[in-house]
Amino acid sequence: MNLVMHGVVQRFGAVTVLDGVDLVTHDVEALVLVGPSGGGKSTLLRIVAGLDVPAAGRVSFDGEPLPRDEQGLRGYRRTVGTVFQAFNLFPHLSGLDNLLLPLVHVHGLTEAEARARVQGPLERFRLAEHAHKRPAELSGGQKQRIAILRALVVQPRRLFLDEPTSALDPEMTAEVLEMIGELKSQGIQFVLVTHEMGFARRVADEVAFIGEGRVLAHGPPGEVIDHCAEPRVRGFFSRILAES
Amino acid sequence: MRGLAVHTLVAIAAALAWAAAAVAAPPLRVGMELSYPPFEMTDPQGRPTGVSVRLAEAIGRHLGRDVVIENIAFDGLIPALKTGRIDCIISSMTATPERSRTIAFSAPYLKTGLALLVGAKSPVRSAADLDVPGRTVAVKKGTTGHQYASTTLTRARLLVLDKESAAVLEVVQGKADAFIYDSLSVYQNHKRHPDTTRPLLQPFREETWAVGLRLQDATLRQQVDAFLEAFRADGGFGRLGDEFLAEEKAFFAARGIPFYF
Amino acid sequence: MSRWLAHCIVVLVFVALIAAALTRIDSPWNWQGVWAYRAKFLQGFGVTLAVSAAALVASTVIGGTAALMLGSRHVLVEAVARVYVELIRGTPLLVQLLIGFYVVASAVGIQNRYVVGVLLLALFSGAYMAEIFRGGLAAIPQTQRDAARAIGLTPWQSLRLVILPQAVRLVLPAVAGQFVSLVKDSSLLSVIAVSEFTLAAQEVNSFTYSTLESYLPLAAGYLAITLPLSALSRWLERRFRYET
Repeated sequence: MNLVMHGVVQRFGAVTVLDGVDLVTHDVEALVLVGPSGGGKSTLLRIVAGLDVPAAGRVSFDGEPLPRDEQGLRGYRRTVGTVFQAFNLFPHLSGLDNLLLPLVHVHGLTEAEARARVQGPLERFRLAEHAHKRPAELSGGQKQRIAILRALVVQPRRLFLDEPTSALDPEMTAEVLEMIGELKSQGIQFVLVTHEMGFARRVADEVAFIGEGRVLAHGPPGEVIDHCAEPRVRGFFSRILAES
Repeated sequence: MRGLAVHTLVAIAAALAWAAAAVAAPPLRVGMELSYPPFEMTDPQGRPTGVSVRLAEAIGRHLGRDVVIENIAFDGLIPALKTGRIDCIISSMTATPERSRTIAFSAPYLKTGLALLVGAKSPVRSAADLDVPGRTVAVKKGTTGHQYASTTLTRARLLVLDKESAAVLEVVQGKADAFIYDSLSVYQNHKRHPDTTRPLLQPFREETWAVGLRLQDATLRQQVDAFLEAFRADGGFGRLGDEFLAEEKAFFAARGIPFYF
Repeated sequence: MSRWLAHCIVVLVFVALIAAALTRIDSPWNWQGVWAYRAKFLQGFGVTLAVSAAALVASTVIGGTAALMLGSRHVLVEAVARVYVELIRGTPLLVQLLIGFYVVASAVGIQNRYVVGVLLLALFSGAYMAEIFRGGLAAIPQTQRDAARAIGLTPWQSLRLVILPQAVRLVLPAVAGQFVSLVKDSSLLSVIAVSEFTLAAQEVNSFTYSTLESYLPLAAGYLAITLPLSALSRWLERRFRYET
């Protein structure tokens, strides 16, 4: 994907969360956003996913600017997929019904067509025997993997994942990261916000460090995570890598 | 020493006297619904007043007992009497055969009758005119008007209201052809709504009011009857009439409509 | 001990206590007098049933609409709903009935006291329903709305497919309670001379002077309506329950 962000500003009330974000990527399959909490990465992700409109600035993917009106954004959101940290799935529906819902009600498939489409992915990711269960009966990892599937089965142009493993224990984190890795090898484009640095190193084409409302570093993962000149970035990584 | 002994004796004597008084003459609990001026009502300070209240106080004096007025909704008076919450009912209650099956009545103390408060636009000219399909009659729940309407006016539509004011409002707003109530109240309500109502004051059924008592309470009944006779002889009713009903008495007397103690 | 058995025992003890209290009352029973008026009782019961059912439906519609209006971003819309709810919840039903029928309905020209009674009862209950629905809507996590938007559902679709199904399950117990209250509150319609169940019992009492014999069947009659309502609600809760 070719993402261009220029002068993106976002405010909530009196607080400025994004203070002029400039970012350009060329032919990048996997972009990973990292940085301290409250630095603005989730806010930025919501903007590029089409959920929020920035207070100022321009965003475009592959030359197409993001709409600024709700109806336009809704059309855009139908072409992409988003996965949140928690409470993605609709708890009153089974896993399978969660998958079918966007296909039938948003993309106009018949129920039979929808069932046919989700069968393959369910089996490939070993979720077929769990699909009839309600989210409350699934483990955290299973829930997130079904959430990712729900974003995938609509055949989106790209995926946006906002800290998908932050609410999971290490074993389930590994489960979900494995799935994301597999998606990468299938050629799915995505923008991922995460704290999992090891995974970021392995899977990212480019990493952008978002701190204090700006892009403080941007480049290949090795460059940003291990050899960054910017002191705030280096300080952040040395702290968290020392912990792990 | 001696002073203390004297004080103690006096205290004991006073207590005994008070206890004796309490045992000998418990207060007379009188039930009435305080929403029927000028017989049962409250003064601006909220204290019960009116003809029935004066009557109750006079009975109390005659019997040497304190009087406690209990404000109870009209259709709850007989149950309250039967279960012992009150000792007698002085609430402008008509002595009817049906009521006499469950409670006792003293000698009557007032003669009146059922009359009609008719809506100005209604063609009704008498009680008989009401017993026609399409007519609507308003009554207050539990009164003799209610009894009359439900047993006799079977072809009319019956509206049973909680309060006199609501029933009058039904007539004033044209939702009911007439309100059946006693002639005095019909007169008073017409005065308040001169343009929207017509009074038919000649009673189509005469009634007498009496004091309600428990069937088994023969002693109290005799005492009340004795009181009523003495009170009338003494001109007590005349004084009550002058105090509360001077204008109405004159109006009714001039038209030959029965209304007297 | 099984739950059913425990319930029976408690009810029997309660009935025994009432019976013991009744035997201490002096006046003799007069069931024949009251039995003679059974047609009146039945008619009043029918009116209460009809009025309650109509008001139930109407109040759900009114309450649902008001709840949505309360959540609206349009200031005037929210204001109308808020004023309605506060006014109705802050004044006694008796006052609303008297003013509503003798002043407002007369001015507007609606004469039928049954129609006006049902409407006033529905408006009364609707205000409480609005607050119940609003609480239910607010209890749904924001991420659910985010997830619904993210898959491209329109606001109406979100409401219908995601929010309402969850909200209904949340508010079901409170709504059932409100329904039961409504049935009992319908007895107040007697003040505008609607010939419902309670008024019938009061009339029979004033003709026969048999208070307990008139009012015990009245209590039994109301229980005959409210107990099935409660049972239905509990059944619905069990049927549509999902863990969260």
